[in-house]
Amino acid sequence: MDCKKAELFLLRSLDGRTTPEEKARLQAHLESCSSCRAKDAEFRLIHDLIRPRTAPEPLPYFKERLLAKIKGKEKSAPAFLWVKWAHRAVAFSLAAFLFFGAGILLLRTQDPLELSQTERFLLQDENPLDEAASILDQKKAEDRNMMLIFASVGDSDVSRRYRP
Amino acid sequence: MDEKELIRRSQAGDGEAFGVLVERYKSKVFSLVYGFTRDRTAADDLAQEVFIKTYYSLPKFKSESGFGTWLYRIAVNHAKDYLRKNKGRQREVSLDDVGEQALTAENRSPEEKRLEEGRRRVIQDALARLPEKDRVILTLRDIEGLSYDEISGILKLSPGTVDSRLHRARRKLREKLAGRLDWQGGDHGL
Repeated sequence: MDCKKAELFLLRSLDGRTTPEEKARLQAHLESCSSCRAKDAEFRLIHDLIRPRTAPEPLPYFKERLLAKIKGKEKSAPAFLWVKWAHRAVAFSLAAFLFFGAGILLLRTQDPLELSQTERFLLQDENPLDEAASILDQKKAEDRNMMLIFASVGDSDVSRRYRP
Repeated sequence: MDEKELIRRSQAGDGEAFGVLVERYKSKVFSLVYGFTRDRTAADDLAQEVFIKTYYSLPKFKSESGFGTWLYRIAVNHAKDYLRKNKGRQREVSLDDVGEQALTAENRSPEEKRLEEGRRRVIQDALARLPEKDRVILTLRDIEGLSYDEISGILKLSPGTVDSRLHRARRKLREKLAGRLDWQGGDHGL
């Protein structure tokens, strides 16, 4: 084992992350390498002394001071609370608007629609040439003329028009 | 009470439930930020700010990561901000901070206690001079004793990156201490 590998193993050994085999190999290397032995001692000394002997504790009444601060903040800045809930309020308003809007559209009573002449031709399959053909079929010129006069006054109901 | 229930209640604005969470985690959070500040008053202020930030961020908390990991992440990020703002103004470790600890050492002669106390101060001083990245990982692992998995979750790094970053930080700290510690003293040699 070279010194580079030994350094890796001794750093891992500080966390107990070496296998028994790696530990044995490291030990064998340390016995024959004074430089790595010194390095090992230095790493272990730092590792032992870096952590405080006793864990420091927060100053007294930590929780009480904290909760009082939060309460104070909420009292002095009600706008902050509004901001806290604003995103929920906006989402709720939007959902309500969409829900009622959709409901109104769905429940609205349909007004009867009056079709235009073109729509009648297209949707109700009426043939505009039927009327012209019936006029042109008349043998008497008088009848033809009378039918033309009635057609020109715009009576849409062909059945009520002049019939010879 | 179950932690999930406490979190749910705190999210709904229940101060009492949040108080229970504070009681559970205050020592850990304080200890973590103390590792960065080395000053009890500053650490106390910082820990309070961490919990206030946590309280107002609770609506965003999703239990994908544990609450502890999430809280630690907030604390680490807050401590990093503190370190950036106070760069170069770091207070040296006072005798009051370490003296108390040294006095509790049992079965040690006064000379041994003084030696250990001096070494701790030198190490803390060297740690404070390391780059932020190295300082954070050494604080989480070597001071706080968090597991690789916990550090991995807090810093959002893979365990492999935690491993290599930790080794690099330990090497740097040793280099910084070269010639400053009496390595042969005490019982730390082989």
